[in-house]
Amino acid sequence: MIKFSFAFILIFVVLNSHASTITIYDQDQQPLQNAVVWLTPLEKQQKVEPSETPFIMMQKDRQFIPHILVVPQDAKVEFPNADSIMHHVYSFSKTKTFELKLYREQPQTSVVFEQTGVVELGCNIHDWMLSFIVVVDSPFYAITNEQGQVSLNIEQGKYTLNLWHEGFTDFSQVESEAIQLSSDEYSYQLKQHVKPIIAIDVDEFDDYE
Amino acid sequence: MNNCLRLLIVCSFVVGFAVNAEIKGLIQVSAINGDEQLSWQQGGVGLYRYDTDHDGIIFSQGLVEFRHDLTTAWSAHGVINAYQDPESTLGFSQAYIKYQPLTQSRFKWHLRVGGFYPLMSLENPDMGWISPYNYTNSAINSWIGEELKTFGLEATLKLPGRSFKSPHSFSFIGATFKGNDPAGTLLSWRGWAMHDRQTLFNEGIRFAPIASLSTPQLQFQANQVLPFTEVDGRFGYYAGIHWDYLKKSQFRFYYYDNNGDPAAINYKTGQYAWDTSFSSAAWLYKLTGQTRIIAQVMSGKTAMGKNRGIDNRFYSHFIMLSHKMAKHRFSLRYDYFEVTDIDGWQLDPNASQGEGITATWRYQLTSNWQFGIEGAAMDSQADNRAAIGFKSKFSQQQISLHAQFRF
Repeated sequence: MIKFSFAFILIFVVLNSHASTITIYDQDQQPLQNAVVWLTPLEKQQKVEPSETPFIMMQKDRQFIPHILVVPQDAKVEFPNADSIMHHVYSFSKTKTFELKLYREQPQTSVVFEQTGVVELGCNIHDWMLSFIVVVDSPFYAITNEQGQVSLNIEQGKYTLNLWHEGFTDFSQVESEAIQLSSDEYSYQLKQHVKPIIAIDVDEFDDYE
Repeated sequence: MNNCLRLLIVCSFVVGFAVNAEIKGLIQVSAINGDEQLSWQQGGVGLYRYDTDHDGIIFSQGLVEFRHDLTTAWSAHGVINAYQDPESTLGFSQAYIKYQPLTQSRFKWHLRVGGFYPLMSLENPDMGWISPYNYTNSAINSWIGEELKTFGLEATLKLPGRSFKSPHSFSFIGATFKGNDPAGTLLSWRGWAMHDRQTLFNEGIRFAPIASLSTPQLQFQANQVLPFTEVDGRFGYYAGIHWDYLKKSQFRFYYYDNNGDPAAINYKTGQYAWDTSFSSAAWLYKLTGQTRIIAQVMSGKTAMGKNRGIDNRFYSHFIMLSHKMAKHRFSLRYDYFEVTDIDGWQLDPNASQGEGITATWRYQLTSNWQFGIEGAAMDSQADNRAAIGFKSKFSQQQISLHAQFRF
């Protein structure tokens, strides 16, 4: 019966939603890549059930992969280490403070992100390693592509449009605005300046320091 | 201490640390076609590690590097090396404790205490301080590997670019140490050399029985150097700065001074304290992801004797181009080196100079196996060779094949 109800809700949602393209521009009217976009319905908001399947934040070639991971609230994240050397993971962010002590391959525990917000990750051994986990209270999220676009399967209606970019002066702040989604396309220009992203390309000899 | 006892102690140490430790190692076997000039390791004046007396197969590198994390902040590190030349030996080339606290501050810092290399070079980032580029190190890093070691405390303050949202990262390093008083001996009496033979703790290095050691003025000097020993009881120091731009450009500058008292001598071991100081600047620049330039310059002075009877200036630079193409790496390096004798002692001429080219091709067959070939040629001249029956100036060549197994 539960399965039947779930299938019915899923079909209902699919039939009532369609792809909406949202384009994000920076203050110079240029499409903004790597912005995290999520929409929270202003009406009939439902709690999102956490997925049983864990999300993955991997360490490979002395970098975190992906650089930005978006997960729904209460999601479980695993941190496998694909390098032959040991890594360490820490966060001092208010959203989630934790530490995975030096390990190879798979740490003993996964981490559950109960609070929404931005988590900045680092490695105490390789201090250039940096990544972000953005915890959102919505199933409607994506990261903008080179054209500054995300495509979301979502009903038309009233939403809060939430945005985050690592170029924000304050990592922990999210930019939000109430919007009316009434067509298949919507564009938004950021209200704040975005600093250029610093991409450090490392190889196996760069941790001699 | 005999080698069996040493092996037993080392093995016990490794096994003790094996639990919860990160251990990696390397074994390298080489086929050598060496030069006819007998190597300094055998008491000759040749400046390469091998010579025709050692043509054939040699166990050229064996090392185990380990790291054991005691807590999040404290870790123990060590490198154990085994060599066949000039005689079979096994021991530590590095052993230290590192304290690197996890801090919320944008500034990071760590301490190292024990025996280790100052991180002034960019040629030797591979495990156990070996080079992933040429098999034969530059003259500068050959000398660091044989006569330079810190037995003391080093503090590093880091300003990582990521913490400051900047493409530039900086580190400031300061250290104080004991020992390393005889550093400078080889530069004065043998001159610069090119090799990958690191000196182990407590190890001595031979050099040719030069004529001046038979004079009354130098009668107490042994025909070997014990480079890491303490002679004068004084502390040495060094300071350095690292400047990285996106890891694309890496620059390091160090000033080193062993603060040696040139009047001090240990009659029992035949070792003087040499007043040795130098500056080193190293630079790595990635032209592309595959191609890089590495260069280093070192300039310094060393003096020994109550009235600084031996007083020398030394200088060297190298420039290397290294290109990686799929599983292949090609590295080509040019070295220049010289020692200038500025004292008035005619009995002990120390001036020497030379230059060399080293070309290496490495092929990474699997993650464990690597094969390579190297050709090296060097011209050198030294004022103290003639008095012991050698030509003052000669050329040397060395060709070598290498098989490396990593675990």
